[in-house]
Amino acid sequence: MEQETGPFSVSIDFDQSHLFFPNIIHWVLVFLALSIVLVHGREIVRHVQGWKESYREHGLDYDRLRLFGTFGLVIAYFLLMNWVGQLFPNTGMGFLLVSMPFMALLSLLYVHDLDRKKFLLILANSVIAPLVAWYVLAQLFYITLP
Amino acid sequence: MLKKLTKTLCVATACAVVAMPVLAADGPLRGNLRVVIGSSSTGGDTYQNSSIIAEALAENIGINIKVDATGVTEAYKALGRDKRGNTVMIFHDQAYLGNLYGVKGYADPFESYIIGPTVAINPGNAYLVPKNSPYQTIEDIIQACANDTQIRVAIQPGGVSEIGYTALKNAIKVRYPGKEGNLVAVNTGSQSDKNQLLFDGQADLINGSVQANEQYTRLPEDDQKAMRFVWLTARKETIEQAHEEGMGATTRDDLLQFVSPSASVTFDGDKDFTFDKEFFFLYNKDMDPAIIEQIDASLTEIFEAGEIQETQKKSFFIPNFKPSAEAQTYLKDKRDQYEVIIEALQ
Amino acid sequence: MEILSNLTPMFFALTAFGVMVGIVFGAIPGMTATMALAVCLPMTYGLDLTNGLALLLGLYVGGISGGLVPAILLNIPGTPSSITTTFDGYPMTQKGQGERALKVGISSSLFGGLFSAVILFLFAPTLADVAIKFSYIEKFLIILFALTVIASLSQRLLVGLFSGALGIWFALIGTYDITDGGNGEYRLLPDFLVNYLDSGFSLLPVLIGMFGLGTILQEAENGVREEAVDSVKFQKGAKFSFSIFKGQFVNLFRSSSIGTFVGMLPGVGGSAASVLSYTQAKNFSREPDKLGTGEPEGVIASESANNGLTGGALIPLLSLGIPGDSTTAVLIGAFTLQGIQLGPLFIGENTVTWDVMMVSLVFANLVMFMVMFFAIRHIAKVVMVPKFLLYPGILMMCVVGAYAINYGVMFDVWTLLIFGVFAWLGQKVGLEIAPFIIGFILGGQAEIYFVKSLESFGTLTIFFTKSPIALFLWGLIAVSVAYSVHHTIRAVKRKNGGNGA
Repeated sequence: MEQETGPFSVSIDFDQSHLFFPNIIHWVLVFLALSIVLVHGREIVRHVQGWKESYREHGLDYDRLRLFGTFGLVIAYFLLMNWVGQLFPNTGMGFLLVSMPFMALLSLLYVHDLDRKKFLLILANSVIAPLVAWYVLAQLFYITLP
Repeated sequence: MLKKLTKTLCVATACAVVAMPVLAADGPLRGNLRVVIGSSSTGGDTYQNSSIIAEALAENIGINIKVDATGVTEAYKALGRDKRGNTVMIFHDQAYLGNLYGVKGYADPFESYIIGPTVAINPGNAYLVPKNSPYQTIEDIIQACANDTQIRVAIQPGGVSEIGYTALKNAIKVRYPGKEGNLVAVNTGSQSDKNQLLFDGQADLINGSVQANEQYTRLPEDDQKAMRFVWLTARKETIEQAHEEGMGATTRDDLLQFVSPSASVTFDGDKDFTFDKEFFFLYNKDMDPAIIEQIDASLTEIFEAGEIQETQKKSFFIPNFKPSAEAQTYLKDKRDQYEVIIEALQ
Repeated sequence: MEILSNLTPMFFALTAFGVMVGIVFGAIPGMTATMALAVCLPMTYGLDLTNGLALLLGLYVGGISGGLVPAILLNIPGTPSSITTTFDGYPMTQKGQGERALKVGISSSLFGGLFSAVILFLFAPTLADVAIKFSYIEKFLIILFALTVIASLSQRLLVGLFSGALGIWFALIGTYDITDGGNGEYRLLPDFLVNYLDSGFSLLPVLIGMFGLGTILQEAENGVREEAVDSVKFQKGAKFSFSIFKGQFVNLFRSSSIGTFVGMLPGVGGSAASVLSYTQAKNFSREPDKLGTGEPEGVIASESANNGLTGGALIPLLSLGIPGDSTTAVLIGAFTLQGIQLGPLFIGENTVTWDVMMVSLVFANLVMFMVMFFAIRHIAKVVMVPKFLLYPGILMMCVVGAYAINYGVMFDVWTLLIFGVFAWLGQKVGLEIAPFIIGFILGGQAEIYFVKSLESFGTLTIFFTKSPIALFLWGLIAVSVAYSVHHTIRAVKRKNGGNGA
């Protein structure tokens, strides 16, 4: 190809072309980050100080049980789903069998003032929803599930 | 309450197990078989060919088979994980060409996997020029390069689309050493991108296919979109097996003008280069050999029955069943040939 | 008439069935129209071409339309192209106007769908010739134009731009794919992650991770408190009537046109259409600051554009043999399996098929409208389901969608978690989600078109000198940037004035 010359000419080596655009984005990110520090810098410092103060006074105020419970359950869900799925290859069983207890446990974790009615609702929901999803998707439409 | 929970869960599990598909009776292949393919498109030739084969296999063996268009890297990963034979892969020559061209994510299929039976050929790999191009034949293009005219070829790098370009470059090198630099690649992606480069005048020659480009060859010359075939990489014997009607309004006889020996791209000065895009199975290295035998046996039955050939030809595939053992040596030879020209030009 | 013999009750039944299945797929976060078509493709093997197409076109229209449901009610875009629907749809739901928002969305979808069908029918071959005037350069400029929305969506201009650039950065992780014309090398990828991230992060899992799981984590942190379900408030929300569309005709028309137009450019893709039309709605709006706070105007722009896509994407498919987006790529499979060849001569050689497709497309849009409009009362009640039941359900569906989007890749499920956590923590330090997502959606295309333009022409000036179309696009970009700068300055001034008072 005839190469243009001039102040705006660019030549890209195909073997290295995968780095061309990422490099531009890196410069853009650096430039924007610096601008943010320049423009909003004082605001950020004030914000962080305010946060520190409130931390010293009140500590962190959040629902430890529900937040970490969610993390624990989600991670267990993903791991177990894959593991159980390997026991029954290509049947979607991993999804079906693990989703039911996962949904039940997550619901029980989130619910406030558990009573009999709510408990039954949770049970029904966590059995029916995965079963319907599995039946329609894996059985009727042959979608691959874990 | 806990009792109730356990009870419900038990019932649900029981339901689920009962609902599981009945396991196939005989043969080592049981349960649900997943066929992953090296293409992520459900509109492409790999998917089409694989669904034809999967449907026939499912009926013949009596199991559920699902084709998943995962794309090459994910397909290899899924295949590598499953030693039990619940996952097999269908792909084409890209498997070893990608490896020869050194593309990331392409392991040597002959070492990392077991090569299974071949099932079909897509004979459509083609090269086209604009209809008003000064180059009438592929020989004109070789001559142009010999006379120091630069020819730009739009291809997708690293595989099936590049092999014809490599062969052409090799032919120029064999016949006019030192002139092969006049043939340059314009690396691009999809068929639409290749066509676009031709419309824009950014390429003189593009890689395409009989299926996707035939209608463009029938447009009037003053249409910006009009194209002309100059070369099909398929073997003459392959095209001869196609239906007589060929594709669209281009008959089999028309197509035969564009294959060797009429359109000649030499391989080494003596014989011509040809390339058939062949679809074949790939298995996990540690898979039970009994499954390989079972699939071989089942495919033999299917191809002996003779119906599948018609289905394949209807979609412009050429039936090409070779059992595993035969396919392995055949494809290894094929790869070794191409390795020579790819290495020579790198 | 030959066409009449093809229009059997079966034909209409299949279209309607397709629409309904499509709506369900579109409405499940992570399931897309593309997937609906892909999984139903094998069903068409047993049908003849006309009936097969009826089913697939129904699925297409239904799948594109269904995406608005979770976008409006749950703030999770059901498909990438309904991302901009969340910007105004969800705030409307929060104001108790969920049902109204849904009806606005559906009506706009119907308009966009029919508009594009008419354009397709009348101008397909002509427009195909226009489409091929768009080379890499013009396509890059279109993407750049769509990216300008980042500026107008940002709450703080610099932070928004940074978030957008970060989105682009994430989109570049992985292989520079040879199927796009790249060189197949990895970048932005530490060695130990190669095994997981060689194909990069997939769009859909990122999207539903950020919007779905991100929100759930935020709620979990706050203890998942149930707000007293105020059924009065839910019902009381301003009622829907077609008078909403008064004064919105220009918006409808412009957005549908943008949708159809972007749809017909192969490779530019669906999400760019709704993003572009949303930008323009914002730029031309009389009260641009109100967009994003729950204005029907925004829902109209987004939904009419993404249904405008349906007809648009069929233009290159039927008159060039090239799919306009990933969904129409599946349609190619249906044609080839029936032995029908697509290309520039298709319409002329298959007039009956062509007419039948048009009937199916129009009918599918009407069915979509009827089904959704009258089912909406019940669908809208989803927001009344208590969170302790709703969230586990959403999570489960997100998992299904993420796993299935690339036909069974477990890493896509982990992507949900990664980006859920990223969105949840990111928002704490000021990351702006909408600009990030738009950068992520458009980043890959921006790269390919930019790098390929330079590879072909070797100079930056080509972006200005290539064609009159390029200059025109620069004009649009300039106007769009000027508008958002103008609005930003005005907003800052107003804020300062407010503080002073």
